[in-house]
Amino acid sequence: MEHLIGFYPMWYVPSVGSATVIAIIATIHVLASHTSVGASILLAYLATKAHRENQPQIYDYIKKYLLALLVFSYVSGSITGPGIWFSATVANPRGISALIHNFVWVWAAEWIWFVAEVTLVYILYYTLGRIDQKSWLRLAWTFAIGSWATMYIIVGILSFMLSPGHEKWFTTGNILDAFYNKNYFPHLFMRSAYMFAIAGTIGLVIASLMKKDISEKVYKDIVKTMSYWGIGGVILGSVFFGWYFSTLPERSIAMLTSIVPTWYYALIFALLLLVLAHFVLTAISPRFVKVHTAYPVYLLIFFLGIYPEEKIRETIRKPYIAGEFVWVNQVIAKDVPAKGIKSEVPTIQQAGFLAVNPFVPEGLKRITPENEIMAGKAIAILQCSGCHNVTGNSGLRPFAKKFEGMTDKNAVYNFLANYLTPENHPPYMPYFVGKDEELRALSAYVADLVSKGGRVSARIEVPAQNQARIDGR
Amino acid sequence: MQNYAVQQNLVRWSLLGILGSMLLLGKVVFAAQDVGRMLKTMADPAGAPFFPVVMQLLQVLTWALHMVFVWTSVGGLLLSIYALTKKEDNYQRLARGLIELSKVSVSLAIVIGVAPLLFYQVIYDPLWYSSANLSASWYIMFIVLLLVGYYLLWFAYFRRASTSQSMLFSIGSVVLLLFVGFIIHVVNYQSLFPERWVQWYTSGGTTMNHHGWGIYAFHPFRYLSLLVFPSLTVTGIFMMLYGWYFGKREDIGKEYASWVARLGSRVAFYGSALWFVSHILHIATIPSEWGVKGSVFSILSIVVMALFVGVAFMAQKSPVSTSIPLLLACTVNTLFIAILREYIRVASTARFGYSIYEYKVNLELLSPMLFLGTTLGGLLLYAYAWWMAYQAGRTPKGKVYEASETEHRLGDLSVFLVTLWAMVFIGVGLIVIVRNYV
Ligand code: HEC
Ligand code: HEM
Repeated sequence: MEHLIGFYPMWYVPSVGSATVIAIIATIHVLASHTSVGASILLAYLATKAHRENQPQIYDYIKKYLLALLVFSYVSGSITGPGIWFSATVANPRGISALIHNFVWVWAAEWIWFVAEVTLVYILYYTLGRIDQKSWLRLAWTFAIGSWATMYIIVGILSFMLSPGHEKWFTTGNILDAFYNKNYFPHLFMRSAYMFAIAGTIGLVIASLMKKDISEKVYKDIVKTMSYWGIGGVILGSVFFGWYFSTLPERSIAMLTSIVPTWYYALIFALLLLVLAHFVLTAISPRFVKVHTAYPVYLLIFFLGIYPEEKIRETIRKPYIAGEFVWVNQVIAKDVPAKGIKSEVPTIQQAGFLAVNPFVPEGLKRITPENEIMAGKAIAILQCSGCHNVTGNSGLRPFAKKFEGMTDKNAVYNFLANYLTPENHPPYMPYFVGKDEELRALSAYVADLVSKGGRVSARIEVPAQNQARIDGR
Repeated sequence: MQNYAVQQNLVRWSLLGILGSMLLLGKVVFAAQDVGRMLKTMADPAGAPFFPVVMQLLQVLTWALHMVFVWTSVGGLLLSIYALTKKEDNYQRLARGLIELSKVSVSLAIVIGVAPLLFYQVIYDPLWYSSANLSASWYIMFIVLLLVGYYLLWFAYFRRASTSQSMLFSIGSVVLLLFVGFIIHVVNYQSLFPERWVQWYTSGGTTMNHHGWGIYAFHPFRYLSLLVFPSLTVTGIFMMLYGWYFGKREDIGKEYASWVARLGSRVAFYGSALWFVSHILHIATIPSEWGVKGSVFSILSIVVMALFVGVAFMAQKSPVSTSIPLLLACTVNTLFIAILREYIRVASTARFGYSIYEYKVNLELLSPMLFLGTTLGGLLLYAYAWWMAYQAGRTPKGKVYEASETEHRLGDLSVFLVTLWAMVFIGVGLIVIVRNYV
């Protein structure tokens, strides 16, 4: 154990990859959280209106909406929020660590608002009609602005994941430089606009469900409010999206135009048109408000809007997972002088990628003809599986497809040795790190995989000859 | 002559013994150095942005708060299932109330759990990430099962008119919550054995268990004493508080309220006795080499808990009036448990020379100020919101609580504070962006 790097035990999800696990949890969370933040403001607005115009029936609607929020948004949102964190922890422990070690206090401040949000949504629900309207309104506005505050914070952290923004952060280490990225405001405004479209859609669902319980006038009023806010949300959100796009780092734009499939854009564009059309119709006439149209629209937002958006966000960050210094495969690839962080690449090149990892069995650290293929599989899992299915031919950018037809290990080696180098590697993928014999082992594994039809077991077995028992029980 | 042979053998064996233990000791010392080095290289090179001891303090305090709501979640469900088996009206009514308690508690347990998770990961990142990743798939299942378990609880709540359905959903829910608690227990417990992680992950050097389905260590007494028995105890205390709070509300009925309090005091006492036993067993089964058993923290926690059990015993006489003192005793007791629990971690990692007090620090002052400001504003805002909820709860059904002049002013202040916060946050952002990019 001459050189050691603080890697953690690797978690490998065959086929779809750990990235997909994060994406699913994140999609649920984004839908739930944007619904609830958007709704908190819409409801505070409606409550003000109810109070000013003396329309008590609006409160009945608010109460129903709050219950829907509690049951849907708060249950799933507050669990999937830590869920993103949990899944990112096991998929990218050193990425999440980098974020936490920079932003722990900012996150802690956000937590103060989380607690406010969760307690207030219950308090609002239980005290509606039991305390005077003025007091309730104040709680409602506190709730609304406090909820929105959580978005102010998380957007800064998300922007940092993409890029620390200003180059000078690497030398100043100033948290303000890292947090208020160039795309902070467009990003914040974009989400803040779209959230009204999301909350408005579910607002229409709820309105249509209680049509019989409220007067015609109140019903129309509510539908109009939801529709106008929704239309504004879609249009402004799209304007801000354009602005957001223009502030992305160059490498992200390159990725958007090269590896993000075009049909993703088509989906999102079609969805925006659909949501807009739906709101326009309901604004024209409340007759168009139907559960069996509004609810499917809401579900489509999930599948056609947010899921592709999350996938794109993940893709344009590549090859990094955080702050343009930690790669997806957990290697710190760049110095951050301000924090005393050193690139680990030189150590790995010199000592070997497997040798520096404490969780690689001793029997794979030195490569021999017996363990070459297994060592190669370990390298593939450790270094490539964040973005590739390395043991099969389906799912996430499968190796079997990327190396189709390459059954000769020398051919694979010659290809990779010229492609995944610091000079030639594509912008979306890190270059290979490790010793030459490790690249040969990886190549041998790939050739073996391809020649076996593109699928092998994910299990790693250290050949008996190479096994060296480790101390301990 | 025979004697001589025996002596010779004795010498031979003892020499071998000494040699053997030297080898073993050497290996242990050597291994300890290796493990220590591993832990240190794992610690994030960015360092902590603030003094580790502050992180530690916040972690311990917020964990204690997290657990209070975990306990009322699990305890509320366990007791509601018991109450549902009884035919009497009071029990049926109690069961519905407990499900409601549990429902709100889970939300709070989840949201408060975020705080220790944050602070913990700053100073104990090597422990948390290694252990979570050893059982990565279970770590994901934590989220999935919690989600399902919480929805079952909501079903139990919506179906509260039907005893059998409510019971079914409650049982499903509590089983899942207990399992979720087990997963987080495993992650916490495994993290205390850095010397075995590599061995666990590689199955002794033969493979790499990257599937994440392994569970490598758990500790039944720790689980019982941190989750199951305190759940009963604390929910019992909560029932006493219910009697105290609602006893004054006419539409609830004094008789029912004091019946709940009396039952609660019984539950609290028996629960605390079991908690005490499991606590002793927990301490007794901590590996001796860690030096925790005889430590002052263990002894103090035992003494404090014994006193707490005493108070719980006496509280049975007049449950309503002793509910607040018992709550205070329980708070102190919980803090001592939280401190002991942290000490176990300190002691276990000290074996390898890991100390959070030596964690690299990259001091940064702006973001702690943000946190401090937010917390102060937030506390005022919570106080206002809880106070209004408290007043609303005291007002009989059908009546509206009219806020006083002071309460109105507090309400204005609360809206003002949150707006001010938002403006400062955006304002600072604008300044930074103009300076950096325009
Ligand atoms: C940060 C994510 C990431 C990592 C890590 C990564 N790749 Fe890739 N790789 C990609 C992306 C994105 C593509 C383009 C896929 C597409 O167009 O569908 C790609 C494509 C490829 C291709 C096809 C050639 C090409 O450029 O389109 C090969 C071969 C490949 N990767 C090999 C590897 C190997 C070997 C490793 C591990 C040493 C690795 N990759 C690690 C993201 C990654
Ligand atoms: C309702 C479901 C939950 C239950 C039953 C539960 C139960 C527990 C238990 C029993 C422990 C102590 C484990 C031990 O030390 O052996 C614990 C610790 C912890 N829980 Fe929870 N928990 C729940 C939800 C959560 C959630 C959602 C989070 C995160 C957001 C969380 C974060 C934590 C953390 C960080 C610790 C360790 C803190 C420390 O060591 O300082 N919990 N929990």
